[in-house]
Amino acid sequence: MRTPTGYALALVAVAIGLSAPFWLGNYWLGILTVAFYFSVFAMSWDLLFGFAGEVNFGPTFLIGLGAYSAGLMNNAGLGIPLCLVGGALTAIVGGVLLALPALRLRGPYFGLVTLVAVLLLLDAIVIFAGITGGEIGMMVPSVLSVSAVTNYWYALGFLVISAIILFFLSRSSLGLILQATGQDRIEAAALGFNVTKFKLAAFCISALFSGLAGAMVTFYQGTASVDQMVDLSIAVQIIIAVVFGGRRTILGGILGALFLILFQQLLLPLGQLNTFIVSGIALLVIILFPDGVLGYALRLMERRT
Amino acid sequence: MIGLQILIDGFAISSLYGVAAVGFTLMFGVCGVLNLAHGGIMVIAGLIGWWAAVNHSAGPYGGAVIGILAGLIASYVTYFAVVRPLQKSRAIPPEEQEIFILTGTLLWGIMIQVGLDYLFTNNPVTMQALIPGVMHIFGVRTPRNEGLIAVVCWAAIGALYLLVNKTPVGKQLLAASINPRGLTLLGFELSHIYLIVWTVYGLLAGLAGVLLATFFGVSSANAGSLTASAFTIVILGGLGSVPGSLIAAYVVGYAETITAYLIAPTLRPIPALLILVIALYIRPQGILGRR
Amino acid sequence: MHHPFTHRLLLLASVAACLAWLGPQPALAQRDNGPIKIGVVSEFAAVVGEAIAKGAELAAANINAHGGINGRKLEIIAYDDHSSAAEAVRDFQRLAEQDHVSAIITTFISEVALAIEPWAARLHIPTLTPAAASNLISKQVHDRYSQYKYMFEGWFPSPILAQSVCDSSRDTLVKELHLSTAAIVSEDADWTKPLDATYEKCLPKAGLKVVDFVNFNPDTTDFTPIFNHIEGKNPNVMIMGIAHVGVQPTAQWYSQRVPIAMAGINAQASNNTFWKDTNGATEGVITQTGSAPGVALSPTTLAVQKAYVDKYHNFPAFTGFTAYDGTMAFAEAMKRANSTDPDKVVAEMEKTKFEGSVGHYEFYGRTDEFTHALKYGPGYATGIFVQWQNGKQVCVWPTDKCTNKLEFPSFVKLPQ
Repeated sequence: MRTPTGYALALVAVAIGLSAPFWLGNYWLGILTVAFYFSVFAMSWDLLFGFAGEVNFGPTFLIGLGAYSAGLMNNAGLGIPLCLVGGALTAIVGGVLLALPALRLRGPYFGLVTLVAVLLLLDAIVIFAGITGGEIGMMVPSVLSVSAVTNYWYALGFLVISAIILFFLSRSSLGLILQATGQDRIEAAALGFNVTKFKLAAFCISALFSGLAGAMVTFYQGTASVDQMVDLSIAVQIIIAVVFGGRRTILGGILGALFLILFQQLLLPLGQLNTFIVSGIALLVIILFPDGVLGYALRLMERRT
Repeated sequence: MIGLQILIDGFAISSLYGVAAVGFTLMFGVCGVLNLAHGGIMVIAGLIGWWAAVNHSAGPYGGAVIGILAGLIASYVTYFAVVRPLQKSRAIPPEEQEIFILTGTLLWGIMIQVGLDYLFTNNPVTMQALIPGVMHIFGVRTPRNEGLIAVVCWAAIGALYLLVNKTPVGKQLLAASINPRGLTLLGFELSHIYLIVWTVYGLLAGLAGVLLATFFGVSSANAGSLTASAFTIVILGGLGSVPGSLIAAYVVGYAETITAYLIAPTLRPIPALLILVIALYIRPQGILGRR
Repeated sequence: MHHPFTHRLLLLASVAACLAWLGPQPALAQRDNGPIKIGVVSEFAAVVGEAIAKGAELAAANINAHGGINGRKLEIIAYDDHSSAAEAVRDFQRLAEQDHVSAIITTFISEVALAIEPWAARLHIPTLTPAAASNLISKQVHDRYSQYKYMFEGWFPSPILAQSVCDSSRDTLVKELHLSTAAIVSEDADWTKPLDATYEKCLPKAGLKVVDFVNFNPDTTDFTPIFNHIEGKNPNVMIMGIAHVGVQPTAQWYSQRVPIAMAGINAQASNNTFWKDTNGATEGVITQTGSAPGVALSPTTLAVQKAYVDKYHNFPAFTGFTAYDGTMAFAEAMKRANSTDPDKVVAEMEKTKFEGSVGHYEFYGRTDEFTHALKYGPGYATGIFVQWQNGKQVCVWPTDKCTNKLEFPSFVKLPQ
C-alpha cells in the first residue's frame, strides 16, 4: 500500500468519488452517502480489532453514544458543530469505559462485555423513550443539508479525511506497537512499551471516529435511531465489512462497506433473498480469501513487483 | 405461594437454558469453536419439528424426533461447510482462527435466519405439548409439559455426564479439551473426535430447539437472541465448563423470573445483564472458568 | 516516475473523470403514456407484510383487466424491507427517485411507517399504510398538513381500534355473556400507548370495569408471571393489545389453562395460519381483524376474497384487503385527476368514496382528529371481530352481519 501504485489507486478512487455527483442520480448518491459513513464505522473498528487485537462486538455502543448525545444536544438548542464535538467527546468517554474491561479481559470475555454494553444502551434508549424517542428514533431540528449532492460532499470529505488519518496512524509507530501488544502483550510490555497507554489511545481514537460518524449520520438523516445506529445487526455488518474487505488494512473496510450496501441494493429486486446472497458471497470470500479483498489484492501486487 | 411459583416456573426455564448452553460450551471446550449460528440451529429444529408434526401428520413425538434430527443435520452442515474449511485454511494464522470462525458462523447464522424467513415466514409457531394438561404442585397450577421439559433436560444432561466420564469416547473428549496435540501424538484422529462433538452438539441443540418450541414457541426472528443468551450463560459459567454453564443457566433463569414476578415484566432481561457485567469485573474467567 | 503502470492508472483516472463530467444526467420526467407505477415497501417474511404486496398486485391486475388508469397500465414494484426502518427508507427513496413511482403502499409496522412519513413529505409521494396503527401518523398530517398531507392510513389508528374493541365488547361480552370486569394486557410498543389510554376510558363505558393493567416487554417469552399476576386480580376477560407477540401468550394461556377469556386485539390470531401455529391453543380466542372468509362487509368483499384465493391459493391476512383497497383508492384518484401529479392525487384521494373490500371507504378530513385515516363507524368500515372455534375463524361482530354465538374452552370460567 505504500507503493506509488497504491497511492495512484487511492487517487483514482477519490477521483471517481469526486465525479459521482455528475453522473449518478440522487438515489444512488444517497446510498453512497450511507455507505461512506458506514465505511468510517468499519475503519474505526479495524483499528481496534486489526491492530489492537480486541474483538469488539460493540462498535454500535460508541456510534450510538455519539449519535444520541449529539441529537440530545441539538434538541437542547446547540448548533451542529458543537453537537458533533459533544457527540465525539461522549463517545470517547464510552471508549474509555470499554477500554477498562479490555485491559483485564481477553478474547471472548471482552467480546461479551462489549455485547452487553450495546444491549444496555438499547435498553436505556427504550426505557427513556420520553427523551430518546425509543424505538422510533429521535428527531433532531437541524440537518446538514436537504440536498443529496451537498450531503454526498460532506460524507465523501469526512470519509477521505478519516481514511487518511486512520491509515497513517495505523502505519505509524502507534500502529506497530498496537500490533505487537495485540499479538503478545507480555512481550510488548517486556520491551518497555506502556501497553495500557497505547490500548487506551486506540480505544479513544476508534471511539472518536465512530462517535463523530454516528453524529454525522444523525444530522444527515434528521433522526437518531436504534435501528440504524445501535442495533446489533449493524455491529454484525461492520465486522463482516472489515473481514471481507481485509482486516488490518484500514482501507479494506471501505471496500467491505461499499460491497455490503451497494450489493444489497443491486439485488433488491430479488426480494427476500438479497440478504441471503450477500451473506453467502461474504462467507465464501472469508473461506476462500481469508485476507479479504484488499488483503488478497495487496498480496497479488507484492508478487508482481 | 408466589415464592413457590417462582421456584417451579424458574426451574423449567433454567433447565431449558441449561440444555441450550451445555452443547455450546462443550463445543468451545473441546474444539475451541464459538458457534454463533447456535440460535439458528435451535430454530431449525423447532420449525422443522413443527412442520413435520402439523403438515405431515408425524404427531408430537414424530415431530420431536424429526426436529432433533434436523438439528443434527444442521450441525453437520455448519461443521463441514463453514467451520472445517476455516480450520483447515492455511491462509488463516492460528491465533486469528477464532475471529474467523466467529465471523463465518455469524454469516452462516444470518443465512439460516433469512432462509427460514423465506421458507417458513417469521411467524412464530408452537409445537404441541408432548404431554398435555396441567398438574397441581402444592397448589401451583403447572403445565405437565413443563415438568416433562425439566425431566428431559436433566436426563439429557445426565446422559452427557455418563458419556464424558464413563466411556472411552468421553475420555478422548476430555483429553482433547486439555491437550489436543498430545492426543494426536497418541495416534488419535482429532477430526474424528471433532465429529463426535458436533454430533453431540447437534443432538443437544436440536433437543433444546424442540423443547423450546413446545414451551415458548420459536420463530426465525429468535435466532439472534437465542445465540446471545447461550453466549451470555456460557461466559458467565466460564467458557468450556459444563457444570459452570449449568449453574449460570440457573442464575440467569431465576434472575429473569424473579424480576418478572416481583419487579416488572418489562424489565425482565436487565438484571441478568447487570449480574453478568459485575461478575466479569470481579471474576473475569466466569464462575468455573479455568483461565 | 519509474512506474509505467502508475502512469497508465493516472491516465485512466483522468479519462474516467472527464467522461464522468460529460456523462448524461438522469432523465427525471416520467413518460406520459407509459405505465403508471405504484411501489410497495413491506415485510415479505411476515404473513401480514407479504399480504400487502399481494393485495396491491391483485388490485393492479383487476385495474388492468378493466382498461387500466385512463388507458395506462398500472405496474407494481415491490421491495422487501426485512422489517428494518433503515432499509424501508432506502427502498422508499429508490422507488421515488430511481423507479419514479407515483404512489407507495407500505408496511404494517408503526415504527417503519413513522420513519417513512417524513420522506413521503420531503419527496412528495402519496403514501398509504394499510395497517400501521400509531396515532402519530395521522396526528402529523393533522398538525402540519401542508407538509405531511401525502400520508394516508388505509386502516384505523389505535384509538379507533380501541374504540372498536369497546363497541364489540359491549355488544357481545357484556350484553350476551354479562361479563363485568376486564384486565388490559398489552405489549410495550408505540402503537399500544394510545390504545391503552382509550381502553381505560371506553371499557368502563362499555360495561367492563378495568381491574388490572399489564404492560410487558415485546421480547417476553415466558408469560407465566403475567398470567399469574392477572389471575390474582380476578377479571372476567383479558382485553389484549398485542401484535409483535401472539403465538407465545396464546399457547401459554392454553397450556397453563388460564381461566380467563382472551379478547381484544391479538393481531397474529387474525392470520388464518394461527390455528396451526399454536396447535389449536387459540380455541376460544377473540380478536379484531379486517376480514373473514364469507363475511360480506360491502358489495365487493366476496368477489375480492374469491379473486385473492383463486390467485394465491390461501386466505390472506387482513392487510391483503386493506392494501387492495388502498391501491384501488390511488388508482381511482389518479383516474379522476387524470394525472399523477402528487398534489392533484392527494386532493382526489381526499374525495375517495367507494365500496372497498373492508367496507365503505372514506378518509377523515383535514379538520378531523385522525386526518387521512380510514373513517370508522356504522355505514363506514368497522373492522370485524372473529373468534376461533374448532379450527376456524368465526365472525362474532358487528352483530348485524354476524350471528355466531361465543364459545369458550372448558377451562375458561365465565360468571354464571
